[in-house]
Amino acid sequence: MFPIISAMLVIPIVGFVLIALLKERMSKGIAVASTAIVFALTLGLLIYSITTGNANLSESYSYISSFGIGLSFRLGIIPLILLFMSSIVLLATALSGNHENSRPRAANMLIMLFQIASIGLFTSANFFMFFIFWDIGVIAMFFMINVLGSANRRQASIKFLIYELLASALLLLAILMIYFYTPVHSFDIAYITSNIAMIPANVQGAIFALLFIAFMINMPLFPLHHWLPDAHTEASTQGSMLLSGILTKYGGFGMILLFGMMPVSHSWASYIALLAAFSTFYAVFLLMRQTDVKRIIAYSTIVEMGIVMFGITALNSLGTYGAVYAMLSHGLVVALMFLAVGSLKHLFGERDINILRGTVLNAKATTYTFLIGTLAMVGFPLSAGFIADILIFLGTLQSFGLLGLIPLGALILLGSYMYFVINRSMLATREHSRNVDYIGMQQRIGYAFLMFFIFLFGVLPFLLLNLVKL
Amino acid sequence: MVLPIFTVVLPLVVAAFLSLIVKGKPARYIALAGSLVSLGMVALLLSITSNAPISWFSLPGLSVMLTASTQPINLLLLQLIAAITPLIFIYSIGFMDVPSEQGRYYFEICLFAAAMMLFAIAGDFITMLIGWELLGVTSYLLIGFWYKKERPPLAARKAITTIIIGDVLMLMAALLLWNSYGTFSFASIISQGAAPLLPMAMVLVALAAFTKSAQFPFHEWLPDAMEGPTPVSAFLHSSTMVKAGIFLIMVLLPLFIAANMLPMLLIIGVITALIGVTNALAENHIKRVLAYSTIEDLGLMTVALGLGSLPAALTLFVVQTFYKALLFMSAGSIMRANNNEESITNLFVPSTSKALIIATIIGVLSLAGIFPLSGFFGKAGIESASNSIIVYAILSVIGFASSIYIFRWFLIPLRKQAQKRGVLANFRTLPKPMLAATYITAALVVYASLLYLGVLPWLSLTPAPIPIAAAAAETTITLIGLSVAYVAYMRLRLKKMSEAHRAAYLALYNNLAVNAAYSLIARLFNAIAWVVEGIDRNIYRAFRTGAISPILFARLLRRMEDGQANAYVAAFILGTLLLLIILVV
Repeated sequence: MFPIISAMLVIPIVGFVLIALLKERMSKGIAVASTAIVFALTLGLLIYSITTGNANLSESYSYISSFGIGLSFRLGIIPLILLFMSSIVLLATALSGNHENSRPRAANMLIMLFQIASIGLFTSANFFMFFIFWDIGVIAMFFMINVLGSANRRQASIKFLIYELLASALLLLAILMIYFYTPVHSFDIAYITSNIAMIPANVQGAIFALLFIAFMINMPLFPLHHWLPDAHTEASTQGSMLLSGILTKYGGFGMILLFGMMPVSHSWASYIALLAAFSTFYAVFLLMRQTDVKRIIAYSTIVEMGIVMFGITALNSLGTYGAVYAMLSHGLVVALMFLAVGSLKHLFGERDINILRGTVLNAKATTYTFLIGTLAMVGFPLSAGFIADILIFLGTLQSFGLLGLIPLGALILLGSYMYFVINRSMLATREHSRNVDYIGMQQRIGYAFLMFFIFLFGVLPFLLLNLVKL
Repeated sequence: MVLPIFTVVLPLVVAAFLSLIVKGKPARYIALAGSLVSLGMVALLLSITSNAPISWFSLPGLSVMLTASTQPINLLLLQLIAAITPLIFIYSIGFMDVPSEQGRYYFEICLFAAAMMLFAIAGDFITMLIGWELLGVTSYLLIGFWYKKERPPLAARKAITTIIIGDVLMLMAALLLWNSYGTFSFASIISQGAAPLLPMAMVLVALAAFTKSAQFPFHEWLPDAMEGPTPVSAFLHSSTMVKAGIFLIMVLLPLFIAANMLPMLLIIGVITALIGVTNALAENHIKRVLAYSTIEDLGLMTVALGLGSLPAALTLFVVQTFYKALLFMSAGSIMRANNNEESITNLFVPSTSKALIIATIIGVLSLAGIFPLSGFFGKAGIESASNSIIVYAILSVIGFASSIYIFRWFLIPLRKQAQKRGVLANFRTLPKPMLAATYITAALVVYASLLYLGVLPWLSLTPAPIPIAAAAAETTITLIGLSVAYVAYMRLRLKKMSEAHRAAYLALYNNLAVNAAYSLIARLFNAIAWVVEGIDRNIYRAFRTGAISPILFARLLRRMEDGQANAYVAAFILGTLLLLIILVV
């Protein structure tokens, strides 16, 4: 069969090289073309899976065979969903994220790099690859903040890097422990999952703790979340779309792998659920104190990822697939929201809700997008978030009983504050902010593109969910 | 051809998006056509549609179906909506004369009607939730329709905040019931009877229903929702939105009985009805009086359900639709003729516009419950259903007070003579569609009275029995109320309450206290957020210190190798001395 996953990986590499070599004004075109091709390929994969009812696929190439290191890919329903989500977000980012078209070569090269990381990470079949692509993603994001960000970018990017490097150091340590404690010294995720019993129990506990903290930093969960709001405040619009849209999903994806792989996680699940629920409420309360729209959206990521973690700790298929669906929904929604916020900043030169006023008068499309994004964020029916909420909380109800419903309460606070924001800075009052610029067709297409998929997966959830088999 | 029953909402959805595309004036006719097609479809419903469930998605261990229910009660609500929608659109043709906003207006209102229709035929929690939440969001858009003004966005936010609470609670209840029963379908949950977590789930359902149906303590958004355009108020208060919560309680009444929750409904209903009546007595805004009156009516329906009398609740449910739509339509006409004046003390109605007055009188008498107008059957039915003398007494007081406030509402604008010539002319040139819709609705109020005895048997319910004595008592009380109001407002010409009556005013007009309580709760959450923010800052500071400490340690170590010979010598001597001391001691 045609090696579609490696082909997919080659495209952004080619794009990266072309952008580096060709003229700067061509870079956006190349980036859009490359992300569009990857999007088309993932769409093809998705349609293929839906028609055949089978999402499993694998490819492998040996590299250092004596150590079991090589490129090996595998695709199942969960990686496929996340891969598809990331290809949508990347295409929207490349097309519409850069309002000012500032430093297009650097921005687009980093997008290509990030696309390589995302394709590789979500399809990796061994931990060695997982680690490599993880770090590529982190480095790409570091430069996105450090090079393309706003005034305080250096401080924020270093903070981001310290947290994320700690995460990848722990990840590497855990991966090496796994490698040395498995009898045949393997990185292969499927092999490790089926032979996990061969690792001594106390070592398993240590590995679990290391991996959990690594993924927890990336998701992020309380108390290791401090890097995220600052990173978002300083990152460019494109950086923010990719950071919350895709990078935080690395951790979520890792958590799903981890909980599927190590039975030791089951004994910790209820404590982790408690942490996740706490993190959700904690982030909501922090969100209620923010006045920068971008920081508000950033904190909503922590809220949502807390709910994702909560779903994973239910340890049943409903909770897990709910978490995946929530990541799908949240990735698209948060990208849409950051795109809208980027437009607001571009249009009015301002992001503070105390200064923005009556934006609906001069920026109808952007304001309505923000409203629709808010609806999708709090799980409005017919948006993908609704399906995710149903699945996650049915799963947690089965595992934790009534307590499993509590994090839903955070959505009330989130929704109320979002409507407060809309009221304060978008609707109403005679005074209104004057726009200093106009947004182009590309941004409108970006809105429509992301919204289309948010509602597609909300109206036709069976497309993805009927693929799930046990 | 057999279509899924959900297609009844399609004409309105199509009309919604078409009117968004075409914008401007044609939108009104598209919307009207859509609503008429949908009315036709409802009429033909049984022959062309099937209510087989549609599978939405399934995973191992969960399959979610979209189920329609074609029980008589669902069809009844469906017909009410289908009948009111075209009237609202006809009224809007006259009312909505801002060409630039028409596309948006009809888009939102069509979607609103479609959501309510979907809700009306929902046979399971998921389908119901789709309609339920769509209803909430479209009502947010409609209440905040005039978003350029100052108050409508605030009112819209109050509504959506209340509604979000309801949405989340309802989702919780649905999931909880699935966990106990393994299904989302109303029918199969009801057939399975009680389960361990049923009371918990029903409390959640009841609270969610209270948010939509403006029951205490979630009622305060409804009067504020008057900031929306008048046709929207007429629509929202008659057959849609506020009826959703009550309707859901009706559908799930067997579960409420199984969970022993009727007393709770009764108590909340009584409180709500009392709040509605007292505020309506003190309120001067023409539309807000009607809003409080809606709160009272909804409270009475909850009381009827709390008494376990579905027929009584249903009767008021049906008749209230028509008289409330009628009163709002008249109020809209009166306001427009008075150049959008809002306070009843400043409004006036000339005795020359007889047709409008007669239509309004029909609505007023129906609301007060004068035999044989339809309101009578609603109110007397509930009073006769009461199971204890206390409940009966409270209901009688409420009935008495409601006849006072509605006559007050009606008489104060009548007693003045026109001061400005323009207003008289305005009454003569009121848009024809507005008046036409008002008169048709007035006819429907009368018709509903005749229909009353025909409707309930069709629902396979026996009409609530109204003993002659109860009917006589109800009528007497209403007539006394009318006389009191007549004497007070036409003879004594009472004006606004003065400072001397401030205590009485505050007791009646208790929405101020409710609003204060709301902002107290909001402030409480803000205080928690403030505390959390402080904690968060300190946690980060602790991390920072922890992370920096190796660097501080390194700085200490660096001193040892900085090449300062005299420091080395000093350290050497000190060290030797220390060593000596240790050795000696």
